[in-house]
Amino acid sequence: MDKSLIGDPLSRVDGRLKVTGGAKYSGEWELPGLAYGVLVPATITNGSVVSMDVKAAERAPGVLAVITPFNTPGVPGFKPDASQPVRGLKLFNDKLIYFNGQPIALVVAESFEKATHAASLVKASYQQDVFETDFDKNRDKGVVPQGGKYKDYVRGEADAYKKAPVVIEQEYRQPSEMHNPMELHVTIAAWDGDDKVTVYTKSQGVIGTQRSIANAFGLKPENVQVNSRFVGGAFGSSLRTWPHEIASVMAAKLLKRPVKLTLTREQMFTLVGHRPLTIQKIGLGATSDGKLVGITHESISQTAVYEEFTEGSVNVSRFLYESPNANTRYKVIPLNVGVPAPMRGPGEATGSFALESALDELAFALKMDPIELRLKNYTERDPERNLPWSSKYLKECYTRGAERIGWENRPSKPGTLREGEWLAGYGIGCGAFGAFRGRALAKVRMMADGTVNIQSATSDIGPGTGTAMTLIASDLLGVPAGRITFELGNSSFPTAPTQGGSSTVSSVGSAVHDACMAFKQKMYALAGMPENSSDPIDYVAVLKQHNLPFFELTEESQSSQQAKNYSMYSFSAHFAKVHVHPLTGAVKVKRLIAVVDAGRIVSYKTASSQMIGGAVGGIGMALTEEAIFDHKYGRYVNGNFADYHVPVNADIQDIEAIFIDKPDPYINPIGTKGIGEISLIGVAAAIANAVFNATGKRVRELPITPDKLI
Amino acid sequence: MQNDLQNYENPRDESRRDFLKQSSLLSAIALTPGAIRRAAENKWDEKIADEMGKVPLSLEVNGVPYNLKIDPRVTLLDLLREQLHLTGSKKGCDRGQCGACTVHADGARINSCLSLAVTNDGKKITTIEGLSRGDELHPMQEAFIKHDGFQCGYCTSGQIMSAVALVKEGRTQCAEQISEFMSGNICRCGAYSNIVKAIQEVKNQQS
Amino acid sequence: MNPFIYTRPADTGAAIKSLSRGNQAFFLAGGTNLVDMMKMGVVVPEKIVDINRLPLRNIEAVQSGLRLGALATNSEVADHPDVLKNYPLLSLAINAGASPQLRNMATVGGNLLQRTRCPYFFDLTMPCNKRAPGSGCGALAGFNRMHALFGASDKCIAVNPSDMSVALAALDAVVHVRGAGGDREIKFEDFHRLPGDEPQLDNTLAKGELIMAVDLPPSAFTKHVHYLKVRDRSSYAFALISVAVALDLDKDNNIKDVRLAMGGVAHKPWRLRASEDFLKGRSATEDNFKQAAQIAMQGAKAYQYNQFKLKLAPNTILQALKTASGQV
Ligand SMILES: Cc1cc2nc3c(=O)[nH]c(=O)nc-3n(C[C@H](O)[C@H](O)[C@H](O)COP(=O)(O)OP(=O)(O)OC[C@H]3O[C@@H](n4cnc5c(N)ncnc54)[C@H](O)[C@@H]3O)c2cc1C
Ligand code: FES
Ligand code: FES
Repeated sequence: MDKSLIGDPLSRVDGRLKVTGGAKYSGEWELPGLAYGVLVPATITNGSVVSMDVKAAERAPGVLAVITPFNTPGVPGFKPDASQPVRGLKLFNDKLIYFNGQPIALVVAESFEKATHAASLVKASYQQDVFETDFDKNRDKGVVPQGGKYKDYVRGEADAYKKAPVVIEQEYRQPSEMHNPMELHVTIAAWDGDDKVTVYTKSQGVIGTQRSIANAFGLKPENVQVNSRFVGGAFGSSLRTWPHEIASVMAAKLLKRPVKLTLTREQMFTLVGHRPLTIQKIGLGATSDGKLVGITHESISQTAVYEEFTEGSVNVSRFLYESPNANTRYKVIPLNVGVPAPMRGPGEATGSFALESALDELAFALKMDPIELRLKNYTERDPERNLPWSSKYLKECYTRGAERIGWENRPSKPGTLREGEWLAGYGIGCGAFGAFRGRALAKVRMMADGTVNIQSATSDIGPGTGTAMTLIASDLLGVPAGRITFELGNSSFPTAPTQGGSSTVSSVGSAVHDACMAFKQKMYALAGMPENSSDPIDYVAVLKQHNLPFFELTEESQSSQQAKNYSMYSFSAHFAKVHVHPLTGAVKVKRLIAVVDAGRIVSYKTASSQMIGGAVGGIGMALTEEAIFDHKYGRYVNGNFADYHVPVNADIQDIEAIFIDKPDPYINPIGTKGIGEISLIGVAAAIANAVFNATGKRVRELPITPDKLI
Repeated sequence: MQNDLQNYENPRDESRRDFLKQSSLLSAIALTPGAIRRAAENKWDEKIADEMGKVPLSLEVNGVPYNLKIDPRVTLLDLLREQLHLTGSKKGCDRGQCGACTVHADGARINSCLSLAVTNDGKKITTIEGLSRGDELHPMQEAFIKHDGFQCGYCTSGQIMSAVALVKEGRTQCAEQISEFMSGNICRCGAYSNIVKAIQEVKNQQS
Repeated sequence: MNPFIYTRPADTGAAIKSLSRGNQAFFLAGGTNLVDMMKMGVVVPEKIVDINRLPLRNIEAVQSGLRLGALATNSEVADHPDVLKNYPLLSLAINAGASPQLRNMATVGGNLLQRTRCPYFFDLTMPCNKRAPGSGCGALAGFNRMHALFGASDKCIAVNPSDMSVALAALDAVVHVRGAGGDREIKFEDFHRLPGDEPQLDNTLAKGELIMAVDLPPSAFTKHVHYLKVRDRSSYAFALISVAVALDLDKDNNIKDVRLAMGGVAHKPWRLRASEDFLKGRSATEDNFKQAAQIAMQGAKAYQYNQFKLKLAPNTILQALKTASGQV
């Protein structure tokens, strides 16, 4: 594909709307008669609601309804015999409480203030059962998850590392982290009669939400309209339809009025998922010259008692490095917590923190440069699937990152480099994430004046989907970007997959690609030119000639058969330079270089921002983020934005993204592999390794707060 | 290759016929909680009580004067978003912990979520909607677009309102100072470095 | 938030009267603490007395030094030329707290009276003697990473979160208050109290008393000052440990006078008198600083999750002293 336009630094196509406050997020639609819903959380951690006193709440001014397990109108999809039963927690369906903060009532009132106040008046009495939120206490209760996907993996011999001349065996802990997108999760539901509903909700996949709500309420999917045009960040927290979304649809149906239900920041800590607390044991065995002979990766994660959540935290150890022997074990511990959800770089971010830290420990034990160690164990094929990589330029990532950060300044002896009063150190951490392509459709329509409109039911949670799609279309059609509009976030548009797994450009971009190609061919045909011509064409003249007010077509696109013969991943190498204060334990990430092999980069400007943003998330994971429980009560003690620390501006100094920018020949017609996850995977290890290099202190428990370094 | 994250929403296949079968269940649901009935019955009392509890408020928002009577519990942020339908100011925490709700009150940047609307009587409020002059964007808005100072855009109004105030406050001596004095605005997408660049550009234009 | 009566009295007399008439009546200044607590249900006012229109916003030189009106915002104080020139420590401390937006709202009086950030205090479902006397202290055997090292009781181990107050303690400020019974002055060190058996009382203000102003006495600490705040992220976070240092050095680098106070370690800003006494008359050397830091830790008691503060606190004192004296 011609590189002339793709890769151009086009500013975001929705930039103007976002800087003027004109972008409408889901909670911001004005609907006549809008009522406000507020959830009432349970204050016990396990047990059941015995009785509730809602009189005061019901009598409070402006209250329209108080829905509880005792009077719920119910949801068809909650019935056990429903053909597609709703997955996960079914709000108000029964009186059982599985975790602290689980909603026990939904109060709907004329105003937000009235609903909030009335919610505070709801009283409940409980039967309390013994609960378990303490991961460490329950470590021996891990179970292998259901389904075959997470069964033990062995290549060669299990635990072979133990017999190697040089052995590293360590445990790494990553606490629960919260997605914490800036936008509060919100849903507005408005029914039109009994069988049609429009839902404005924070969603990464309008088609998925449409199907879930249709399932839950026994509606035809086309009778459920889902709108999520602007999404204020999500990072995985909006990949599924959550109980509160169903609840707002239920309340709107009951009241025959539009209902807006907004979660509080505090509620988001329990109701929309988290990256689960995970403890990992890594065993690495190597020859004295640094050749790996065995990798063992064991992982144990928390999940909810009422729904199982799993993720591939051990997977990375199966393929990232060459080793004749590799084995992984994965278990989960069901606890009285809200169910986790995939969070940016799910599984791999967790796994690579452990693996890449252990590798650094091995390099230190071997007195070897960490990059050299990685090169020594570089894989030219996927050892797990025994397939060739579709493309892999990780070596180039090492070289370019090392050069850019000044790797030669890294002291081989930790704790020996001073810069002013600070200890300085360098570290590397790598990552990989599967490159995917899903089935997607796109509709291209050109008006008589030559302007183009493209629609696809994808989302944009921040990466700049519309911008990338506009660039692809502009390049293929030869129409200036300014004359193209791309619309998304609406379930009535042609089907597209949920925005997750870094695959939007690959999937939807391919659909746009294919649709534009087909469009062009049709236009050439109409013009009486050869279909595969590359001569310039005057679309407006063609449309006029045929007396067409517009011309449109929809194209479906999906992965080729050939792609199955390759193992497809994006790869990244992150380089960190840190300062650590010897007295206060403060860590400053002075520089972070993210070098990524993600195939062809379609929109350079937004891709850079996404890489940098992922690195900021990685800095949070490394240094500041941890959701903390009080196990006596089973409640979070820092469930808010002041005490759960995401990085602020002052935490961020110099971050740079470098793209290898070589197209992958197999994944899709564009050659793009995806960067959303890879931007974060490996960052925490890079920083932890740099901290070790600066101080000689190996921190194996994230986050690396000052107390761990003094 | 299969992408777990995309199938995560609807792990099972579904068939359309099954929904249709289910929809008949809906007719079985016809519950009306007592609260609705009572609310209707009591509406009169409630309205009086409601009016009595309201407090007059006069303020100017983006140059437009408003004379209102409001529930004193309403925060400035909720007044803007829910009653004046100026949704540019965002709610990210409602507790002064994120900066998404930043507006200017008599020129000073504040967190509108912690300010009861009634205390702003007589004040001039400027929100993101009041920053541009018609089609002409404020230089800070232009700079945010140019330097890609945002991704999802949800923190952006607050960032821009904060940044405009920051330049006026003269806290732009170096990147470090800009970062420190922009730290009351969280950006979970991590656009911080581009935000700093945008601010530097505006500052340089002005000097 | 519960419904309440909102009043906006025209003068201080009316404000004090209005407050004394309500059972659960509260003055509202910047609202950054009060409104937050109202949203969380931590306080449930029946009446809100909005004092923002009272003429208490001036910052002015008076005979006894500099007077900060109770309604002067934190930003106005931090940026005031007299403060920058004569009390730079105060400016540093204020700017280390909260965020620019919050400092534009927060007032001198409100900052002094802001309540602890202890998670058990803010969570209605957990015990807290400060919020609900007699319910117990959740932090004592709970998550107490942010909690006190000094002066705590078995009823409460919360810390005062104010940064500004740490500097005011070091600078020997005086609080002017007015109540139904008239005006009085409270020395800053006597303003906040230790929890003892009544942790619900943060300070020695009588019910219905209005803070009018805070006076700063003339100060020689114009040059060698530092406010060092160690926290879990670089900004917009409460202190794990903070230290306010003011040194008056002679030309031979001897310490003529010194003020030291610590934040994040007690129910009140923690003045380090013994360390000050040790340093006075000695030379400003790293060795002396280290000893002063050790002296400061006498009587410290840590809990399960704040053990690290026993080391972080003296380290922070040392680093702050070094920075203030120009040794880094
Ligand atoms: C997210 C966040 C982060 C923060 N971080 C920090 C930080 O790092 N460091 C720090 O020091 N602070 C921090 N703060 C706290 C902030 O500084 C205080 O909330 C603020 O100083 C309170 O001042 P105010 O004027 O808003 O008080 P208000 O909220 O109006 O009042 C607080 C209390 O004081 C009473 N009161 C107010 N004025 C008077 C008066 N004149 N006389 C008698 N009573 C009065 C009120 O009745 C109320 O009980 C933070 C706050 C938030 C929300
Ligand atoms: S919404 Fe006001 S600071 Fe977060
Ligand atoms: S742009 Fe998404 S939070 Fe800042």
